[in-house]
Amino acid sequence: MVHALQRAGQRLRSGGSLISIRPHETQLPLVSIITPSRRIPVARLPTPGFDDRQSAADAALERVVAEGRFALAGIRNGRYRSLLDNPTELRTYLELINPPRPRFPPGRRAHLLDLWRLRPRGSRIEIAEWIVMTALRRR
Amino acid sequence: MEIRLIERFTTLKGRRILEVGCGDGRLTFQYARAAREVLAIDPDRLSIEDALDEQAALRVANVTFRLGSIEQLPARGAPFDVALFSWSL
Repeated sequence: MVHALQRAGQRLRSGGSLISIRPHETQLPLVSIITPSRRIPVARLPTPGFDDRQSAADAALERVVAEGRFALAGIRNGRYRSLLDNPTELRTYLELINPPRPRFPPGRRAHLLDLWRLRPRGSRIEIAEWIVMTALRRR
Repeated sequence: MEIRLIERFTTLKGRRILEVGCGDGRLTFQYARAAREVLAIDPDRLSIEDALDEQAALRVANVTFRLGSIEQLPARGAPFDVALFSWSL
């Protein structure tokens, strides 16, 4: 990770921005069923090996700042929601995430499918994700 | 949403942008028309193929999708204004 940031630094102009977009450390992606009248939370999706990867990414960002190549420009949190038409679209959505991918805890995918079979007309599936954006400025 | 957050730090309009871990271009195509030029790289062949298909469908001409990693990018070359690491750290 440090090498990736260093290489990016070599190719950025002075004053250029390096922006890292990553999943939030503690707010796991949340899958819900949205009916015409209410939201039914179904599962939070953990990512295997996520903590180790986050720690390594934090360490890499801190290191390139400590080396003096970059200055920290800011950190912001955000949330976004995607609405999907059915469980097949949800599966595709998750498969398109760069590995390691969030996964359903045991039994929760079956729970989603059970609830989906009983859904009122007009229901959709929502996945809400929280992200952390870290901005560095090239010195 | 990601673009709004990014633009709290820097504008992407008219900029030369390096995107690392572009996947199938989901984020890339949100800002590409505003950027001057984009080099988007990803080590996953299927994702790059999907991105190229989408690029042809959308007729976006200022993006170059490349299979590979940031470490394979030459250390020297025309400088970028912005480097985006999208879910790739």
